[in-house]
Amino acid sequence: MAARQPRFNQQVLIDTTPLPDDIPKVKEIGASSAPLMSASFFIGARCKPYNDDYMVCKTEANGKGELECMKEGRKVTRCAASVLEDINKYCLEDFRKHWQCLDNNNQQLWQCRSAERSLNKCVFDNLKLEKVIPGAPENEVPVHLRKRQIFAHPGRH
Amino acid sequence: MGVPFEALLPYGIVLVMFGVSGVGLSKLRHMQNGGKRPRYAIDQWDRVMMDRDRRLTGYLRGQTDRVAAPAGFEVNNPWRVEERYF
Repeated sequence: MAARQPRFNQQVLIDTTPLPDDIPKVKEIGASSAPLMSASFFIGARCKPYNDDYMVCKTEANGKGELECMKEGRKVTRCAASVLEDINKYCLEDFRKHWQCLDNNNQQLWQCRSAERSLNKCVFDNLKLEKVIPGAPENEVPVHLRKRQIFAHPGRH
Repeated sequence: MGVPFEALLPYGIVLVMFGVSGVGLSKLRHMQNGGKRPRYAIDQWDRVMMDRDRRLTGYLRGQTDRVAAPAGFEVNNPWRVEERYF
C-alpha cells in the first residue's frame, strides 16, 4: 500500500492548483449531506433570491456560465453559510437530533417528523425562517404539518 | 408417542448456523456503515453527495455540520479521466 494517495492515475486527476487571486475567495460549505438536507428548507427560505439569480444566470448562459456566474455563485455560498451558521448558533441541539435521525433513516424526511417539528419551531422562533414546500397544493395541509402520518417505519416519527 | 429429542437436534443446528451467519452479516454491514443503518435505493445524486461527504470527513457515511469546509477541500475534487483505449 502506498502511503500517499495518487494525484493522477487512470481514473482521476486531482489538480491542486488554487483559484487565481483575481477571483474573490469564499469558503466552501463544510456541512455534509444530512445536515444540508435538514437545513435545506431554511436555506431556501432565506436565500431564494440569490438562488434564483444564480439559476437565471445559468439558464441565460445556455449551458456555459461556470465563469460568468461565479459572482452569483459566491452569493449563494455565502448566504447558505450564513443560514448554517445561524442554525448552529441557536438550534444546534435540535439540528443535530434531526440530521442524525435523517442520517440513520436513509435521509428520508418523513421518518423524522418529531425531530423536525422541534427544529422547525426553534428555527422559526430564533431566525424567523419557515419551512415552506415549494409547489405544494395551496388547499391542503403541507405534509410536515399533518396531524396523522401514514407512511413511516413504525416507532420512528 | 413422543418424538425423541435426537430428531430435533438437526433443526437446532440449522437454526443456530443460519442465525449466527445472519446476525454476523448484519453486524458487519452495520459496521461498514459507520454504526448507522445502511442507505438504500440511492440514486446518482446521493452517490455524488456521499462522495462529497467522503471528501469532507474521510468516510463515506461520515457527517459533519461545520459551516466552512476544511482547508484544501476546494481543490481536492478529482477530474474524472477519460478511459484510454487503443
